[in-house]
Amino acid sequence: MRLNPLTVRKLKRFREIRRGYYSAILLAVLTVLSLGAELLVSDRAVAVRYDGEWYFPTYADVKLGAEFGLTGTAAVTPVDYRALAERFAGTDDRVIMPLVPWGPQANDAVDGVLRARAPDFEREHYLGTDSTGRDILARLVYGFRTAILFAAAFTVLTYAIGISIGCAMGYFGGVFDLLFQRLIEIWSNIPFLYMVIIVFSVIPSTFEISTRIGILLLIMVLFSWTGLTYYMRTETYREKARDYTAAALVLGASTARVIFRHILPNTIATMITFVPFTVVSAITAITALDFLGWGLPPPTPSIGELLKQGTANLTTAPWIVTSAFAVLVFVLAVVTFIGEAVREAFDPKKFTYYR
Amino acid sequence: MQYPQARRRTPLPLTALLLAAILAGCGGGGDDPAAASADHEARKAAMLAHMQAHFDTEPSLPPAVGEALERGEVTQEEIDRRAAAGEYERFFQFLTPADLPADLAWENGADLPEVGSPEARQGGTLYSAIQDFPRTLRLLGPDANGSFRPWLLDDTAMNFARRHPNVTTIDDQGNFRYYPGIAEAWTMDRESRRVFVRIDPAARFNDGEPITTDDVMFSFYFWQQPWVQAPWYNNFFSRNFEHVTRYDEHTFSVTLPEAKPNMIGRMLELEPMPLHFFAEFGEDFVQRYQWRHVPTSGPYRIREEDLRKGRSITLRQVDDWWARDKKHWRYRFNPDAVHFTVIRDIAKAFEAFRKGELGMFNVTLPEYYYEKLPADDELLKNGYVHRAVFYNDTPRPTYGLWINSGRPLLDNQDIRVGIHHATNWEKVIAEYFRGDYQRMRTSADGYGEFTHPTLEARSFDVEAALARFAAAGFTRRGPDGVLVNDAGTRLSFNLSTGYEALKDVLTILREEALQAGVEFRLEVLDGTAAWKKVQEKQHDIAFSAFAVSPEMYPRYWETFHSVNAYDVPWLADGSPNPDRKLKPQTNNLTSTALPELDRRIEAYRASGDVEEMKRLAFEMEQILYEDGAFVPGFVIPFFRTAYWHWVRWPEDFNVKLASSAGDHHLYWIDESERERVQQARRAGEALPASDRVFDQYRVE
Repeated sequence: MRLNPLTVRKLKRFREIRRGYYSAILLAVLTVLSLGAELLVSDRAVAVRYDGEWYFPTYADVKLGAEFGLTGTAAVTPVDYRALAERFAGTDDRVIMPLVPWGPQANDAVDGVLRARAPDFEREHYLGTDSTGRDILARLVYGFRTAILFAAAFTVLTYAIGISIGCAMGYFGGVFDLLFQRLIEIWSNIPFLYMVIIVFSVIPSTFEISTRIGILLLIMVLFSWTGLTYYMRTETYREKARDYTAAALVLGASTARVIFRHILPNTIATMITFVPFTVVSAITAITALDFLGWGLPPPTPSIGELLKQGTANLTTAPWIVTSAFAVLVFVLAVVTFIGEAVREAFDPKKFTYYR
Repeated sequence: MQYPQARRRTPLPLTALLLAAILAGCGGGGDDPAAASADHEARKAAMLAHMQAHFDTEPSLPPAVGEALERGEVTQEEIDRRAAAGEYERFFQFLTPADLPADLAWENGADLPEVGSPEARQGGTLYSAIQDFPRTLRLLGPDANGSFRPWLLDDTAMNFARRHPNVTTIDDQGNFRYYPGIAEAWTMDRESRRVFVRIDPAARFNDGEPITTDDVMFSFYFWQQPWVQAPWYNNFFSRNFEHVTRYDEHTFSVTLPEAKPNMIGRMLELEPMPLHFFAEFGEDFVQRYQWRHVPTSGPYRIREEDLRKGRSITLRQVDDWWARDKKHWRYRFNPDAVHFTVIRDIAKAFEAFRKGELGMFNVTLPEYYYEKLPADDELLKNGYVHRAVFYNDTPRPTYGLWINSGRPLLDNQDIRVGIHHATNWEKVIAEYFRGDYQRMRTSADGYGEFTHPTLEARSFDVEAALARFAAAGFTRRGPDGVLVNDAGTRLSFNLSTGYEALKDVLTILREEALQAGVEFRLEVLDGTAAWKKVQEKQHDIAFSAFAVSPEMYPRYWETFHSVNAYDVPWLADGSPNPDRKLKPQTNNLTSTALPELDRRIEAYRASGDVEEMKRLAFEMEQILYEDGAFVPGFVIPFFRTAYWHWVRWPEDFNVKLASSAGDHHLYWIDESERERVQQARRAGEALPASDRVFDQYRVE
């Protein structure tokens, strides 16, 4: 694919802004790693060798103890791979556990008591556990994954709606534009947080967690696309009035061709600069909702829920709030750095040929 | 902190609240005192006339007729017609002292030991916190059954007499032992099922007005009116009393429909409502009396300037409380004032306590007792703050899983019993509650001789659970480890609760249940929403508890009788009605409908014989155990309190029936000690520490 030379220059410029560039790489790597989190942070083994055969339980169906020669109650319950590893020690059979051998849900008692445990490398709780003995690192990793995927989906949907409607308003103008402007003015005055709280108080929280996330996403998108239409509308108005658009129309280009080939590529640069900030607001929103208790149902891991636990145990288990806060600040800072770099790299004042 | 407990109440939707607030805000008109006074007189006359009409007409329905009416077999019109024809006696009767039986053996509980410590000193202020501002000061009606009502009524009023909190034996008449409050003496006649009460002529409401029989007659009228918007009261005070009879200004009797054990308790444990105060009682009662503090026989009043809505409330002792020097009362209710600040966040309230802004704090939760205020905390070591663990002996709130057996799959007994074996309460108690709490055994623990002596709850046992699930057709594990049957249905249920503070318990249960192949989908709601859900029988499984009072014997009708499970539970031939619908707004959360249980519940309700009732209670517990719709959870056999050095307690700390540190009001405030502690803190000096366990009433 051949990129527009202008775009190439913008990307080059982006790469030159070190802080933003490395932040982007870091975030990409973390996101990809979190997609495969089950291989890194999980209480299921990555690989098990038993009786000369290899098993890979991570993405497989739940296995019962009997498959690995366990007896008694352990034979009919899902395998506890940490216990299995101890059992296989010193034999030919092997269990290879992930780096962090804890899932986000497992309760690990300290001396027979479920309470927060300070970071403990021997027990492989690298960031300690929360107030019911669940591994904080595991919960952060899975919470981060939910948040970043949520933010990505949110951004894509918001832009899809915002750009389509904004572009249509600018291109068709007239009554259509007038009508939508008024609609958007009314719509954007509905307070979004209250709507989320109201909607979540009426939908049963026993819906599948994915459904709940979907609903939350939908509500947030419904109340967030409006802001983009303003920019998109004015940009489209401007591009439509330019000579090249008129030329295309005179040559007989269809409406679709004018919009997709000529107008969109020339307006998109402005839009892109908003993307990282949309991501930041999505992550903040989902964290805030979880913190307030209006987000995902227990026991779903999330950064907001950890922050809430952390503030309630500020003096007795400071490691909870420290790690959750550090992760949140880190993620938001990285995305903001990317945002700054993108804005600078795509600044039209630097590259425009005419104006 | 106390767990919120499910109570008999109807939550009011938010819109209604807003409306009430607006209405309350609009009522500020009447500035003209003359007009206000005329209005008051007019309302008073109307109320008195209405009351008189009620006295003259209210029939006393025989229990059988009442039940037929409840079941819809007779209409209200039919009853009214029969009553007008004079078929029934009148509920309210007016006789003369000459009509009193001559040979009554009055008793007065004077020989019972005092309550509290002679060391107690009057004075000082107790500073305390509440999580929510009370939504009303009414004693009944919408929102009245909130967590502040103990301060307005339940714990602070004297009642006619109160059950002795330490002498918990049953006397030869089958009654608990009572010490006198408003009543000077009382007696009963088992034959005619009457309880006679003589009011102490010195008795006064705390606004200074004397308490007389007229207040008692008014109270029954009041409780029976639909205007109070409290259906439970309407029902209770018509169905559980046959007559109320006035003999003279200070003597009255009530006739009960059946001679149950502890017959006198039903009357003595009531607090009369002041007739003079409710002069404007009428249809608009709920709004009109929303913020008026009702005078009781107790020592505390709330003055208008002490009510700062949404922020704080102060209760102040009246100057001349009539019972100040009465035996059983004189060492109690010691602080001059009790001040409550609204602190919505428990963590914040705890910090306020640590600063000394609050006098005491409930540290029953292990998290507080072991982590946030451990034995080696500076405050404790220096003797500024003390802790006490007090083992009490009283009926236990029923924390457990209420399985709605009217729902698909859960109507299968094998699945219910499987769920019993799949819930790991042992782990919750040992690892989360640190072994301090105990496993609940039956649905009625703590009723002494009425509690089943040997029955134990089923223990966590994956193999037993799997066997039961297999019997119900769930033999295969799905890809996520949850069992599925041949039709492909997953063994997965909603588990709802209103106890935000206990949600960790449910996450532990959930993880453990997955071992046995059953999935609980957790639903943590706010208290009101959760209660509404279970009242509408929309739950699969609810984690909930009923608050219980120290009654003699447990109740089964509300929670387990079939009329509270379905609208029309049975067909005429006694077989289950295929079209029956779950009945909302009842306390049968398990939708239990078993004919053999119904028969025993009815016999139990009608029985007056202690031995027979015990036998029936044990049989019912056995049936409930077999049925498996209630999974007993845990009981908390104690409460743990932390308090500043200036809050003082009797030598033995509290009474056997205490369910919280403060509910019998035995503490006192030593203001000079407050000064001393503050000086010691500034100077960094230590005072003698105290971290004690009171296990004199411990039961194993």
